[in-house]
Amino acid sequence: MRAGSVTTAVERRSASRASRLYLFALPATLLFVVFIAYPIVWVAGQSFYAGTADRGTVFAGLANYTTVLSDPTFWTVVRNMFLWGIITIPVQMLIGGLLAYFIERHTHALRGFFRTMFFLPVVTSVSVISLVWVQIYAPYYGIAQEYLKHIGIVMMTSPIGDPKTAIYALIVVNIWQWTGFSMLMYIAGIANLPNEVLDAARIDGARGWRLAVHVIVPMLAPATKSLLLLGVIGTLQTFPIVHLMTGGGPNRASEVFGTFIFKQSFVLGDTGSGAALSVIVLVIALVLSLIQIAVLGARLSPAGKQDP
Amino acid sequence: MRKILFLATTILAAALSAASANAEQKEVTVWSWFVQSTMAKSIAAFEKAHPDIKVKYTYYNYSPEYITALKAAAASGSLPDVIGLQPGSLTQQYRENLEAVNERAAKQWGDKWAEKVFPVNRKQMLMGNPKGNENYYIIPQESQVLCIWYNRKIFEKLNLSAPKTYDELKAAAKALTDNGYIPMFQGAADGWQNENVFLMLANQFSPGIVDKAQAGESPWTAPELVAAMKAWKGLFDDGIFQQGALGAHAYPTGAQLFAQGKVGMMALGSWWMQESKFPPPLSEFVQNMDGFDFFYLPPVKDGNSASPPVGGIDIGYGLTKNGGKNPEAWTFLAELTNGVGLQEALNDLNDLPAFEGNSPKGDITDHVKEMSARFMADLPKAENQRFASPAVAEALDNALAGVAAGSIEPEAALAAVQAANEKALAAK
Repeated sequence: MRAGSVTTAVERRSASRASRLYLFALPATLLFVVFIAYPIVWVAGQSFYAGTADRGTVFAGLANYTTVLSDPTFWTVVRNMFLWGIITIPVQMLIGGLLAYFIERHTHALRGFFRTMFFLPVVTSVSVISLVWVQIYAPYYGIAQEYLKHIGIVMMTSPIGDPKTAIYALIVVNIWQWTGFSMLMYIAGIANLPNEVLDAARIDGARGWRLAVHVIVPMLAPATKSLLLLGVIGTLQTFPIVHLMTGGGPNRASEVFGTFIFKQSFVLGDTGSGAALSVIVLVIALVLSLIQIAVLGARLSPAGKQDP
Repeated sequence: MRKILFLATTILAAALSAASANAEQKEVTVWSWFVQSTMAKSIAAFEKAHPDIKVKYTYYNYSPEYITALKAAAASGSLPDVIGLQPGSLTQQYRENLEAVNERAAKQWGDKWAEKVFPVNRKQMLMGNPKGNENYYIIPQESQVLCIWYNRKIFEKLNLSAPKTYDELKAAAKALTDNGYIPMFQGAADGWQNENVFLMLANQFSPGIVDKAQAGESPWTAPELVAAMKAWKGLFDDGIFQQGALGAHAYPTGAQLFAQGKVGMMALGSWWMQESKFPPPLSEFVQNMDGFDFFYLPPVKDGNSASPPVGGIDIGYGLTKNGGKNPEAWTFLAELTNGVGLQEALNDLNDLPAFEGNSPKGDITDHVKEMSARFMADLPKAENQRFASPAVAEALDNALAGVAAGSIEPEAALAAVQAANEKALAAK
């Protein structure tokens, strides 16, 4: 057999193998096209149409976008989303990181118990969380008031009933619910820290706070980056807590993108502006994600290991 | 071998027979947010009367599940045969997916069938239709009348009586608060409860003014509506509503506290009577409605009368285009709204009927019968409770919340509602 024909046969087998491998990707690709790509394209298309008096639709160009951007509620939403992200993401990381550190380093027999307890809110139904927190915040007859009255404090208003404090009150609930998730990510990161590095740092005299800040925190950077990325996406996806606790009120003071899109599309029946808002949120999410990947890099696994 | 053959033949025959029976039984699909336990009774009564029809009911929470499910199903052409509707905006959103039922209703109940529907309901059935379109896309099942319920056992204990003036209302609220009760529970985080109280107030200053404002015949900034908005703020400032009402929800929080006897008064409606038919254990107040009675909001200003009854359709049903192709779907809709299905709902005290000539039967106390009769006597003269445009309702909700919170003045708040109303009328 000549060398050239052997090479051709190998190439053919290799090409045939490669095409078979593409078949394995087909189910995932189909699911992506049907459930993600097509809906995105459909919503983007809808954003260029407006409803008519006879329940039909008409091409409206960018009218939906200009209407949405000139609506003062949109800018209230942008402000709320900014506050939501800028407060929840670092606070959840900080508390979650501290919890993970103390649970992993200073608990032994009760480690599983603490992990479970702090993670419990993450897996609890949002409906239940909302009901409980509405009761906690209620003045006069609420749960917090029952305890506060023992130290002479009387709540005059509910934090979620005041336009000035509603968004912050909701942020507190969100932090309470999702800190367990940050904790879990950091626990995974801490569990993967190489002991030899920690031992070397200790030999060099690093202890306690110094060891935590100068050795452990930098080594947990991949988990931090993942949490940052997930936090930004989670912020833009916020809906159930706000919908159930305040409905975006009072007077739209706690409106977020999720509730705003829901109201425009389903309550007011204005599918065009709802779709325009959805596209704007999609673009924001995309831009923020790309910026993060560009600035922070793509090493997002908790273990912080890159493929060779 | 013969035995095996015989057995196989018998099984095959039985299977074919069952399949044939299933094929003969027609199916009607229904979606709604209506209480499951009561709907189950209505369906059982219907299936008993129509053994050849099977009803498949899907229950959803109203928001967001039901309205998102409807939207998705309408977009994909897969709506069920019959859907639960509210008059006005919800019905109008799906008008293109619904059959006009005028002819079917006339054939079912006679040419003058619409006259048997209470006037306020009839008005709401056409609400939002384009000018000249007299088609009905919704058949109402139940009506409601809004009112202020009060716990008469607590009132009796505190030597209070149902207030007839605003001063008496304030005094009752103070006495309740001083004795550790919540005075009047307002779930002001819910737009619907705020709208209801505002409608009571507005119709007290000028009956029918909200309808005129919706139709563009009177501005939302009219002095009567501004006065009503100021009176609304007064309910918060005068301690009639509980502290922190803006962060509270009527359901489940307020209703539970009211049922447990921790609340003195609550603005609800005739549907509150259904609490007495819920599965035990029931509180001493809810049992046979022993602890409750109702009144209309007393005049909030000298020269006013007490609020007139305000109400209309609680829930109605529409026949979808898909349902129009299924003859059994109309049969069910007719029985549910004015037949055996309705009777079961009335017996559960779910609410008042939408058609004249129906009343609850069965195990009902004299006290409940007396209250039900009072509601029924008021229903024919009730003012309209519903909004034709969801954008106007939304704007009013925001205005009410803003005024209550003190972040906007009544005049400015109502100007925003006027702007939304003008936009809605222009788009019509």
